[in-house]
Amino acid sequence: MPQQKPFGILRYPMITVSNVSKTYGRFGGRTRALEAVSLEVPRGETLGLIGPNGAGKTTLLSCLLGFLRPDAGRITVDGRVVDDLSIRARTGYMPERLGFDRDLSGGAFLAHHWRLSGGDPSRTRGEVDRAADRVGLEPDVLSRRLRTYSRGMLQRLGVAQATLGNPDFLFLDEPASGTDPLGVAVVRDRILEAKSRGATIVLNSHQLAEVERVCDRVVFIDRGRLTQTETLRGEEAAPRRGILRVPPARVPEAAAALAEAGLLASPQPDGTLHLDAAREEDISRAVQALVHAGVPVLEARASADLEELFRKADAS
Amino acid sequence: MIRRYLRQKFGSIGIVIALGVLSLLTAGEIAAIGRAAVLESGGFFALLVLAAASVSKDASSGALQMILARPIRRVDYLFGRYCGILLAYAAYVAATGALALLFSPLLGKLLGGGNAGKLSPADLVRGAAGSLLSAALLAAVLLFFSTFLRGYGDVLAYFLLSLMLSAPDVLSRPLGMPWLSKLGIAARENILPRVPWEEVLRGQNVVSPATGEFVLAVTAYLTFAAWIFSRREFSYGHD
Repeated sequence: MPQQKPFGILRYPMITVSNVSKTYGRFGGRTRALEAVSLEVPRGETLGLIGPNGAGKTTLLSCLLGFLRPDAGRITVDGRVVDDLSIRARTGYMPERLGFDRDLSGGAFLAHHWRLSGGDPSRTRGEVDRAADRVGLEPDVLSRRLRTYSRGMLQRLGVAQATLGNPDFLFLDEPASGTDPLGVAVVRDRILEAKSRGATIVLNSHQLAEVERVCDRVVFIDRGRLTQTETLRGEEAAPRRGILRVPPARVPEAAAALAEAGLLASPQPDGTLHLDAAREEDISRAVQALVHAGVPVLEARASADLEELFRKADAS
Repeated sequence: MIRRYLRQKFGSIGIVIALGVLSLLTAGEIAAIGRAAVLESGGFFALLVLAAASVSKDASSGALQMILARPIRRVDYLFGRYCGILLAYAAYVAATGALALLFSPLLGKLLGGGNAGKLSPADLVRGAAGSLLSAALLAAVLLFFSTFLRGYGDVLAYFLLSLMLSAPDVLSRPLGMPWLSKLGIAARENILPRVPWEEVLRGQNVVSPATGEFVLAVTAYLTFAAWIFSRREFSYGHD
């Protein structure tokens, strides 16, 4: 019996943005931050918001969280208005910069947010320790006041706060900004963990490599408009660029082997070979062809090349 | 919300020192002159320290946005701040009263004569209660302004309002317009009413126009604060 795809469940739009517009300022100096933005985020999807500075990404995130009210259009989360308390109880949010009572200790900060989220007070200590542990914050760090934290530590604490109680919706604004490479990995792991348990995530980030690693889909926003959507994962994913790295001296040999297998690869100045518009099976075939030809494959990956898409979207 | 407010205020060394100095000065004055009513005027600056920028500071730091992303009603946050201010002020008044009682015999011996050393606990309790009741209005006014003004705009707005309300009375004589004085007094009685709490707490004029105006003013400020705050937008960047 063919396995039935749980299409109805997976594609159920958890977040719906319909024709949302938002303008700042009054009496003359008006800035249109969002213009007729419409999008849907299905249950369990991780959506990346990409765009230049001032494009309207943070405004959209603020509207999704109910901090700002759209001038026109409507936003619903799981069929309810954004400031519905039952939705908020299932929401985790991390701002770009964690601004909170600087005299509070990290542990007290997390405990406060655990209680605010409606968490069981008797479980506070355990949940706080677990959340801190998940982002690599040691107990001695937790007892220190927030004013002594570095930017990276604050970001980690912010991620721990946002993921307290395993929320169904995560809204993250530049979560890895200002963190060291280990911090970036910690943030990524927490996002992937939330994703694996079915959370619906909206991520605003300029770190395109990280966006590509965690997002199922990205939308480009420029001057308040949604200009492009790119599906990165799943059956609807657009073909991506296959990148193969072989020893530099063997590049011509590798290109010939790939051509023989019917795959057009273009050698790059950095010693890699690019397969344009490659699907996952094309990359697999390419690796097989290279192995068959005796060419060592040092790296093989698919890339959406968001930077290129970003440039194109910006130029258009 | 109340716990967070108290932690915010009493967790700051600067605020604790400021309150400590004000408390010592007020307690000394009460003990020296033997009048607990000083608590009311002496508490004014302490209340400014406690209530200034109570919402605007949270909004500008981004803490408010993090709180509002949680299942908390905006009105709950606002009234949590209000109750926190009054609770913190009550603690300040209690500490000042206790210090005044301690200082009273000492200053009585040092200063001799007058009312020094004659402070009665009943007077002190009445003074503390009057001070707390007056604080209920000032805290409501500052909270109201803090819901839509930035930084310490609430304190500035309060002083401007007080100035505007006393201006007609001051200007009426040089301008030869007695009606201006009446208008100013009527406006003051309704916008920033003053109640002689010492009398009221002794059981005199409990039901009077002044107490009615006071209750109405506190209710109006809190209602408008809640109305504005529940409609206000909180941005943390225009990206």
